[in-house]
Amino acid sequence: MKKTALTLLSTLLLCALTSTTNAQKVYATKTGQVFFNATGGIEKIAAVNNQTDSKFVDQTGQIIFAVLVKGFKFENQLMEDHFNENYLESSKFPKADFKGYITNIKEVNFSKDGTYPITVDGDLTIHGVAKKVSTKGTLKIEKGLPHIEGEFVVKIKDYGITGLYIGDKIAADASITINCKY
Amino acid sequence: MKKIILSTIVLVLIIATSGYYYVFIYSKNKKFDMEHADSMNIEATALVSAFQENEANANKLYLDKVLFINGVVGATAKTQSGETSVTLTSSDPFSGVMATLDSTVTTQVKVGDTIAIKGFCKGFLSDVVITNALIQ
Repeated sequence: MKKTALTLLSTLLLCALTSTTNAQKVYATKTGQVFFNATGGIEKIAAVNNQTDSKFVDQTGQIIFAVLVKGFKFENQLMEDHFNENYLESSKFPKADFKGYITNIKEVNFSKDGTYPITVDGDLTIHGVAKKVSTKGTLKIEKGLPHIEGEFVVKIKDYGITGLYIGDKIAADASITINCKY
Repeated sequence: MKKIILSTIVLVLIIATSGYYYVFIYSKNKKFDMEHADSMNIEATALVSAFQENEANANKLYLDKVLFINGVVGATAKTQSGETSVTLTSSDPFSGVMATLDSTVTTQVKVGDTIAIKGFCKGFLSDVVITNALIQ
């Protein structure tokens, strides 16, 4: 009887230990920020999206960012209209997203505040076109909470975006900056 | 001949000035009049269901339209940029209507309040996203 009880206790302890070791946490935000900048000349062509949806898994590094294209706010309404209608065709392609992995997630100590360099690889989909991208960024742990910052530089024409002024007033390479507090 | 050249220069100057004013001053400062804009009435629960059942169709109906949405406040929060967001609940506990309030809104709301918001529908991620929202 004692042996059975001991075996049961050991099994329970082992199960508890295993589940603790393998417990993974999903961090999420719905109000992250994505900045877009394609300034090619004197005029600033930049916008921000303050409703970025992002999630990542601490154990695997799996990460996703998603934005609604119509959610980008420009300082100039006319520019915002052109961005949506003539370039991003946001009624046809309402979302843009990134799905991939933080490849060196094991180097991040989530229980210790600090700034950890990260490498992110995955697929960036804009205007209905998906392309492999890779970039470096940082994952800060601040009071136990993660904060990811990074930048992708993309060639606008690679994503099937055409229109006047690309390579002139609109830069051929656009910068997409991520700033998400989870 | 001189008169024609002078008239042409004046005309070109007027067109150029008007263009500059429209693109760089008027468009930059123009603010959409949400208060008086025509809108479509819908319940938060129905709006979320519409996107969950057929997102493409819901986009055709609601994307970039001004909506007047009734619902119950499930959460309020500050966004990273300091704006206030209000989430209205739906029948799905994992999805709602998240509205970012216009900076002019001073009305305070709390969880459990039944309210109506008016704003632009920007599409669907985890929640239906509404921007420039006013509390009615």
